Amino acid sequence: MHLAQSKTNTREKFFVAGITIIAALSSLLLIAVVFFMLQESLPIWLDTGGFKFLTGANWRPVAVPPKLGIAPMLVSTMWVALGALLIAAPLGFGCAIFMAEFAPAWLAAVIRPVLNMLTGIPSVVYGFLGAAVLVKFFEVTFDLASGESLFAASLVLAVMVLPFIVANSEAALRAVPAEYRYAGLSLGVSKPYFALHILVPMARKGMLGALVLAFGRAMGETMAVLMLAGNTLLVPTSWFSKGEPLPALIALELGSATPGTLHYQALFAAGLVLVVLVIAVNVIINIILRRTRSGVNSI
Amino acid sequence: MKTKRLLSILLVAAMSLFLLSGCTGEQQGADNNPAPEQKSSIKIGGSSTLAPIIAKCADNFTEEFKTWDKVDASLPEEPIVIFVSTGGSGFGMKSAVDGTFDFGMVSKDLKDEEKAQFADGTNVQLGSDVLDIAVNPSNPVAQVKPDLTTEELKAIFSGEIKNWNQLDASLPDRAIVVAVRDLGGGASEVFDKAVMKGTPISPEALQIPSMGALAGKVMDNADTIGYVSSGLVNQNPDKITALSVDGIAPTVENIVAGKYTIGRPLLLVSPNKPDSKEKAFLDYLQSEKGLKVVEEMGYIPFSK
Repeated sequence: MHLAQSKTNTREKFFVAGITIIAALSSLLLIAVVFFMLQESLPIWLDTGGFKFLTGANWRPVAVPPKLGIAPMLVSTMWVALGALLIAAPLGFGCAIFMAEFAPAWLAAVIRPVLNMLTGIPSVVYGFLGAAVLVKFFEVTFDLASGESLFAASLVLAVMVLPFIVANSEAALRAVPAEYRYAGLSLGVSKPYFALHILVPMARKGMLGALVLAFGRAMGETMAVLMLAGNTLLVPTSWFSKGEPLPALIALELGSATPGTLHYQALFAAGLVLVVLVIAVNVIINIILRRTRSGVNSI
Repeated sequence: MKTKRLLSILLVAAMSLFLLSGCTGEQQGADNNPAPEQKSSIKIGGSSTLAPIIAKCADNFTEEFKTWDKVDASLPEEPIVIFVSTGGSGFGMKSAVDGTFDFGMVSKDLKDEEKAQFADGTNVQLGSDVLDIAVNPSNPVAQVKPDLTTEELKAIFSGEIKNWNQLDASLPDRAIVVAVRDLGGGASEVFDKAVMKGTPISPEALQIPSMGALAGKVMDNADTIGYVSSGLVNQNPDKITALSVDGIAPTVENIVAGKYTIGRPLLLVSPNKPDSKEKAFLDYLQSEKGLKVVEEMGYIPFSK
């Protein structure tokens, strides 16, 4: 009996140790990626100067001497991602409220898997469809010389992030405790009033979290923006200008950059900027989500 | 139960070993460079222009011989396996140097310091790729002004001229859509060397991620001008029109005679001397059968 006990103990210890190692390795991966990017891009931060790199408006990586400023790409990235949210947020929130509150169970059961399946479509397919349909559509309809624009990229990104917004917002709406519903109904408020004035304010932090998550995804998305944004080097001045978001820049130029050159290091530096932005977004989500829980309890 | 646990422990151990070895792997690769004879496959990677040619040749080669001993009796009786993958000229060179690939495919003129890396190894030219100045056939410039000077090209691609009617008054008052490959890529370098000569490309130019997509843009959009691989132009004679530059049309005769100068070599490079299997494949590529594929794909085969 005693022997068996100690055997289980060792087994457990092994198990815990194994799991801990695996967990440590996976977090090590993230640190290793960031560290590697930092190491590869170090000369940019030290010699060229981080401020100059981030705010420079000229990108001429192969000129002598090279001009390495990613301001146009940073602005493009933000513009495309925020634009996508502007389109996707009203649709996504509306859809989530509908599914959580108004849709009959069978309809929600149809819409939910369809939306989830949208996330499974490879981004290159979205980009391809966008390039084949949207670009041509803009050229013909608005008689533009060329149809690529940040707007076209935002439009496709909006479709791509919509499922995330819907799924997470719906979860947040459904997480609102039932007492509030009973309290509301017993006071005789109508269903729309209940949804808009009680449910949504209660779930608003969760919905904000969904939005931030979508923003992070939109910033990092590559194929669709590569094929739709036009990849010009000017700082975009409107939603309808062309631009080159950071992921497109990296995807476009890394294959042809000679390793060891400033160009190569600058691309790694651009990648690091993107990673840091996305990590920052994730940290913000965590902060928001932590507050959500305490928020509901304190009301 | 026991074996399962053992397996998982082994797996974890293997994973951590991988992680640790990742740090030193590169150096080991460099030490092993004199490639061992018993290597069972040839790995080739790099330029997306060259990849379809090499892949086609590899297919033909594998189909014709099946096993190495049929290529040359002195080689072992093993199936022929050749991997071809793309990733750009720079990537091809890097991977050849660090040993990821046995050969790098490069479609640009090598700089002297790049050439030095392969001086003691392999540096084989299979042909040349010429960049045609391409417009959509429905663009009236193809009739009005089928011949542009280098200066006019420079003005168009640098953004100095923004409308077609600035090039010639009889052309429509529509914006010129300049389409280029990514700056710093092989094709951009060629174009810079032959036409731009250091003048920066207009920041308004659309950078297109692949030569195929660039050709597609020219086919789809009547206001576009771009440089497109002669191979792609020759494959789509009705959908793309090539303009002459300084009175010289991009015909095979002009290219072979060296008159048409917007072009780049198609190279296979490696820092090592080829082993006997690699040698056999290189010989095949440079034989008539190999060069025929180069020509079929629309490029100019290398003539000694």
